[in-house]
Amino acid sequence: MTDRPSILVPIRVLEGESVPEGVPELLAHAHVVLLGYHVIPEQTAPGQAQMQFEDRAGERLDEYETIFEAAGATVERRLVFTHDGQKTIDRMTTEHDCRAVLVPNATGPVEDVLVAVRGAVGVDRLARVVAGLFGETDASVTLYHVAGPDETDEDVGTLLEGMVNRLEEQGIDASRIETRIDRDQEALDAIIETADTFDTVVMGETDPSLSTFVFGMPADQVADRFLGPVFVVQRESTLNEEEG
Amino acid sequence: MTERPVDVEPGGQNVAGETPVEEPEAVTDDTTVHDDDVELERTIGLVGGLAIGIGTMIGAGIFVFPGLAADNAGLAATLSFAIGGLIALLVALPTSELATAMPRSGGGYYFISRGMGTAYGAIVGLGLWLGLMFASAFYLVGLGHYASAVFAELGVALPFSPVIGIGLLFGAALTALSIGGTENTAKIQNVVVGVLLVVLTGFLSYGVLDAVGVFGGGSVPEQFFSRGYFPVLTTAALVFTSYLGFAQVATVAGEIKQPGRNLPLAMVGSVLIVTVFYVVTIFVATSAFGADRLGQFGETAMVEVARDFLGLPGAVAILGAGLLATFSSANASILSASRAVYALSRDALLPRKASEVNLRYGTPHVALLAAGGPILVLVATGQVELLAEVASFLHLIMYGLMCVALIVLRRRNPEWYSPSYRVPGYPVVPAVGALASFGLIAFMQPASIGIGILVMLVSYLWYRYYAGDVTLKGDI
Repeated sequence: MTDRPSILVPIRVLEGESVPEGVPELLAHAHVVLLGYHVIPEQTAPGQAQMQFEDRAGERLDEYETIFEAAGATVERRLVFTHDGQKTIDRMTTEHDCRAVLVPNATGPVEDVLVAVRGAVGVDRLARVVAGLFGETDASVTLYHVAGPDETDEDVGTLLEGMVNRLEEQGIDASRIETRIDRDQEALDAIIETADTFDTVVMGETDPSLSTFVFGMPADQVADRFLGPVFVVQRESTLNEEEG
Repeated sequence: MTERPVDVEPGGQNVAGETPVEEPEAVTDDTTVHDDDVELERTIGLVGGLAIGIGTMIGAGIFVFPGLAADNAGLAATLSFAIGGLIALLVALPTSELATAMPRSGGGYYFISRGMGTAYGAIVGLGLWLGLMFASAFYLVGLGHYASAVFAELGVALPFSPVIGIGLLFGAALTALSIGGTENTAKIQNVVVGVLLVVLTGFLSYGVLDAVGVFGGGSVPEQFFSRGYFPVLTTAALVFTSYLGFAQVATVAGEIKQPGRNLPLAMVGSVLIVTVFYVVTIFVATSAFGADRLGQFGETAMVEVARDFLGLPGAVAILGAGLLATFSSANASILSASRAVYALSRDALLPRKASEVNLRYGTPHVALLAAGGPILVLVATGQVELLAEVASFLHLIMYGLMCVALIVLRRRNPEWYSPSYRVPGYPVVPAVGALASFGLIAFMQPASIGIGILVMLVSYLWYRYYAGDVTLKGDI
């Protein structure tokens, strides 16, 4: 078996969120880190919720684990009671060294994948995730870049070319890869618009900034408006950067 | 990440056949880990911990007690607050060690039940629950006084005293809010505490400068021990309610991030900060008016002090701050009381039902009602000093026993006891802490002592009847 990318699949297990249709198939070639979490109000001690809900949540996770395994994934699972869901997701991502976090939305059989390539930074991780997840499927992969005003066609060409090469190295046939470039558009809107005709989106994580603080992370906005599953590829952890 | 195993195995069962919930497998900086990969996330940082401690404490010491304390002890009330602060510090240090060794929900109750056994644990745990109710009721009556002062300020003459009515109203509203509210209360608490500290720092700086004569005049130096020496100690016993908050940090120890670092800092830090504020406040207040006049103003004396310095805007600012502070103290105490109920119910000392979580709101409605309901009865008495002293009594018993538990654990040194913070000056600090805690009780009014002892007795009998077979003591 090739290198299975670890994908974090967070599910609010007690609020009726379940594994949406198509997601187990989507993750057939992944190592799924199944995170069942339950966000509780501050008036409640996490242990209190655990005392009451652990069994029920555990049963549901058992079910989901079976579904993922039946589809072909390897599964590792955690159940967390928390006051702060985002902290839990971030911690799990780091602890399990997940390459991407999936925003689990329903999808049909995956035939085409949109990969939003933002810049040269992180293309390696992006390529590994795409190759790991879709290398052994027949899905076509579209590399998409929204060019800024001071980027020449040549720059963008080099960027996407590099990405195609990486994917080829990792076993994706070039005939399955397409590239697409748009200009003069706001990147986020362009991605969401383009994504409409695709089954799933793979994109990079953005650095937190004031606008992400106000409007939320771009990946979350895409997930909210696209309504299909979105893989958010994580930045390299600082530890690895220091080593590199 | 430091991961420490937890190796305490509770056993036995209560009358209803419930057994204590199993202990977690390990405690990390970010979680408490149970078996089967179940984790409880830690989400409260240092700022949150300090806000709980300071927010619980500052309401009483600054906004309710200055008038009462000055009336009792004169200018020497400053010394009373300093004594209270010293005792709190002597207890906060050992508590920090225990909390880093056992960062679990329930605080003092948890340490004592694991260190000294179920009987002591039950007395302290039930006492903590009731003590927090007395404290909450005390804050709510204080809140009633401030709200009444607002009416007086607006010139609304009421044919009756609205103090108790308003206290009851806010008590009921707080309980309802805690059950049905899902807004981010911790963030609000942080902001409230921040605002309070800023307002107070400004006000007190002005007051101190005024008192030493910068703005002309200065104040008439008064005889320090104008009421004699003994009232200094009885006043210290009375105002000790102003120092109960640091133990509330320990009741949420299970939710504090990096407990080894943040718990000691939050507990000791909040005690030091409020002690400074208290001492300066009393100094400023007594030098503005002299103890006699200050005493006549009663619970809302600080409003008059502010008016004296800064006119109407000062009075309004302190009124607003007083409302905020007493409200946040009452709120924090109700939430802590509900945590105490949870810890007791987890260990089968109360019915499991008591910590049940509401399916609609996700809040522990039974525990919150079990705290909020009796609080209303206590508020209805309107006895500020009695409520304060009983609250202090029940906490002081816990404080003294925590110090004893620390000494017991250090002497036996069981394998599972490995605190990351160690109290300086062992065994003197915990020994003096225990003696001082128990000693302070002797200076309370007989009625408070009587009620306190009654609560302990009932707690013990409840334990014998309901959970006599439950063993919680760690292997030592």
